[in-house]
Amino acid sequence: MAASATHAAGVYRRSIGAYLRSIAEYPADFWVMAIAGSFWQIVLFSFLSILFANVTAIAGWDYHEMLVLAGFLAVSWSSTALLWDGIWETGRMIVQGDMDYRLTRPAPVLIQVGSNHVGFQVFGDVAVGLVMITIGWTGAGLGLAAVPIGLYLLLCAAVIQASLLTIANATNFWIKGRTPVIAFMLTELQNEAMRFPLTVFPTAVRITLTFGLPLAFASFVPVQILTGRLDPAWLAAPPIAAAATAALAVWIFKMGVKAYDSSGH
Amino acid sequence: MTTLPLALRHGLAVDFALLVISFKRRAAYRTQWLVGSLVSGTELLTALALWSAVLAERGQVGGYDWDAMRTYYVIAFVTAAVAFGGTEGIAAQRILDGMVAIDLLKPVDFQRARAAEYTGSILGNLPTLGIGLTVSALFLDPLPPASFAAGALSVASVLLIIPLAFGLMFLSIMLCFWTRSYHGVLWSRRTITAFFSGAMIPLALMPDAVQAVAAWLPFVHITTTPSNIYLGRVDTMEAIGLVALEVAWCVALWLLGRVLWSRAVKVVTVHGG
Repeated sequence: MAASATHAAGVYRRSIGAYLRSIAEYPADFWVMAIAGSFWQIVLFSFLSILFANVTAIAGWDYHEMLVLAGFLAVSWSSTALLWDGIWETGRMIVQGDMDYRLTRPAPVLIQVGSNHVGFQVFGDVAVGLVMITIGWTGAGLGLAAVPIGLYLLLCAAVIQASLLTIANATNFWIKGRTPVIAFMLTELQNEAMRFPLTVFPTAVRITLTFGLPLAFASFVPVQILTGRLDPAWLAAPPIAAAATAALAVWIFKMGVKAYDSSGH
Repeated sequence: MTTLPLALRHGLAVDFALLVISFKRRAAYRTQWLVGSLVSGTELLTALALWSAVLAERGQVGGYDWDAMRTYYVIAFVTAAVAFGGTEGIAAQRILDGMVAIDLLKPVDFQRARAAEYTGSILGNLPTLGIGLTVSALFLDPLPPASFAAGALSVASVLLIIPLAFGLMFLSIMLCFWTRSYHGVLWSRRTITAFFSGAMIPLALMPDAVQAVAAWLPFVHITTTPSNIYLGRVDTMEAIGLVALEVAWCVALWLLGRVLWSRAVKVVTVHGG
């Protein structure tokens, strides 16, 4: 068990490392993607600033708390682009028969797929996301003592995001087609719905996004804990959600590989 | 039709054929327009949830009350379906993988052919628009246009988004001659368009300086112009002026695209094989 985990970690490290080294070969692409990533976050930052120039609070959340929420979401979601972006290739690999190569290699298939690519936009996304968190954190008076808790919640959020993205892309084993439609919908949900406090939505939507599709545990719940809206006892919930979604993701991907029909290339 | 010169008739026939092929290709991917409908619907409902919470406390913001804001975002849904509904990846990919060299051999104008394909793909997005408008009319109760003239001019403004969006798209795919990936360019353009068009947040809520800059950019005609005309936030003469400006942008972007194409095509290297 320990040996196979070490082997998987080694494969992952070498695969991601090779892609990171390729950045140096395509500097124009790196800058275009990094700037593109920062554009979306800058626009989101501007959106919140303009909104709060017109209103004082949204569902009881002030400007700085909203910045922490937007920044936390940006950093946790972007971490998947740095560490697990290859998972977006699942649909294409299935249709083009690339998955055959992964199956024949002596390394875990999921690790090979996930570490196949790095989304260069992550550098812009994370940079502006961290700026939003810092301004919001300071303005909301959260203090340095809360930083370790913030990092712990961020780690759990990153695992949840990567797991949900894996599940969404693994659906392409059954929905034939190279476009990861479910993953696109997940991204859209993140970009649109999760950047606001869930309290602005009807109860049914809130419950669905918290317990049905646990996106709330990757942004809304952690930020509620940090801002004191939720009891500290809730600190136990994010790692449970992370472990459960990660186990589910591995299981669904394995089921997908079992159901995989080679395209015959 | 028979009175038209042969070359013109031939050109129109090619345009129409490309438009139909693109429409059929788009319509064939039913899952994609189903997802497109769900995505656009999510954006609309999220915006309405946000403004419902804000306007319940404030009454009105930037001159928009709840009725006007609801109507604004239904218009934004329509304009987004037109502005972002076209297929562009195929044209970009042909430049990236060098297949554009084959296009150079064809007896059709590259820019005009892509315009026909783009229009066809937007028409293929009509189911998304139809579903959204039906649901909006049934459940969101949008306001009627401020007047008959406002209604007619706002429809003209929405239709002009097709050449306007094509002009912006064509300029961005030209960048593929210099960069290896199109995703970053696509995301950047879409983000800037969503912000400066007013699709994310009405321009009337933005600082004066940003509004002044936005007024001189083409993006403003994608959501703000049709919604301002429809809601009667500008009078008829101002509305005619805005539509004329939108036409001017369509022409300017087309000509700029031509200039960029004539330069970009010189950097194509055909390796043979």
